[in-house]
Amino acid sequence: MVVYSFYIFDRHTECIYSKSWLPPSHASSSSSSSGPTNVTTTTGTGTATAAAAAAGAAAGQTASGARKKSAADDAKLIFGTVFSLRNMVRKLGGDDDAFVAYRTAHYKLHYYETASNLRMVMLTDPATLSMRNVLHQIYINLWVEYVVKNPLSPVEHKGGAGVRNELFELGLDQFVRGLM
Amino acid sequence: MTVFALIIINKAGGLIYNRTFHEGGLNKISTNDYLVLAGTFHGVHAITARLNPLKSAAAAAKRTSTTSTAGGMPARPEPPSGLEVLESENFRMQCFTTLTGVKFLLFTDPTQANVDATMRRVYDMYTDYVMKNPFYQLEMPVRCDMFDRKLGSYIREINNR
Repeated sequence: MVVYSFYIFDRHTECIYSKSWLPPSHASSSSSSSGPTNVTTTTGTGTATAAAAAAGAAAGQTASGARKKSAADDAKLIFGTVFSLRNMVRKLGGDDDAFVAYRTAHYKLHYYETASNLRMVMLTDPATLSMRNVLHQIYINLWVEYVVKNPLSPVEHKGGAGVRNELFELGLDQFVRGLM
Repeated sequence: MTVFALIIINKAGGLIYNRTFHEGGLNKISTNDYLVLAGTFHGVHAITARLNPLKSAAAAAKRTSTTSTAGGMPARPEPPSGLEVLESENFRMQCFTTLTGVKFLLFTDPTQANVDATMRRVYDMYTDYVMKNPFYQLEMPVRCDMFDRKLGSYIREINNR
């Protein structure tokens, strides 16, 4: 079982917390490995290989620069997806129905919503079984303990204020790594 | 073991077939709502294919490498895969996308097993009784008697099992 990423959205649809467990070198390593292999199959000359490696490195740099922006875009896309699917499920299954998860060939998205419209989303590999109880545990043992009960944390977590405290981050990281 | 409903969405996101097999499984919604649902799902399906956490970085790298090897053949990208199974507390939805972009949505109860085989059979019937019907116009709503009858008897068999 592999956990790819985790997101929390508040009741104002804002992404107040996101974390990715993908290795940070994922983008650069894949670009530098795919660059040279492509060239060797097509031309195979030394200069072209060097140029492609340089291009790959440049792509890696721009990718790391753009990653922050694309992560924010991803969060928006995920919220839009989850919101539409939740409404679809409630329309078909009745108001007491709840959207639990969806799966594609490459990943699985798990969803948990609390009574106060706090939404938690977790992306894992497609073979993972239901993570509903895991998300529930995160809510009870981490969110309520370290964010809600924190006297310094604001009521509304605008821009993620009060969520990124040490105890919550550490607890979440340990909990998720314990699952993998 | 119950199959609740079948929806077929054409490649443009239009609803072309919708039929309920079991009363009480899903809420009754109007035809207009079904049309909206089909369109919404079509869009969401496209987004879910793009959200792949592993491929977003690899795809960007591939794009730059294909432009650098202008003379060579660009590698064929892996076909994107959108939403395949959706689970909720009251039902489970299986989505099958054909190579031409037609989507079959099969709504079953959450414990239903072997939906892949049922889906396969439904697709077989679609090819036999809809696509081979000389009066059927592509992308248009499916109004084929044979398809209705065969599908009805097949699903009834499953639901009574």
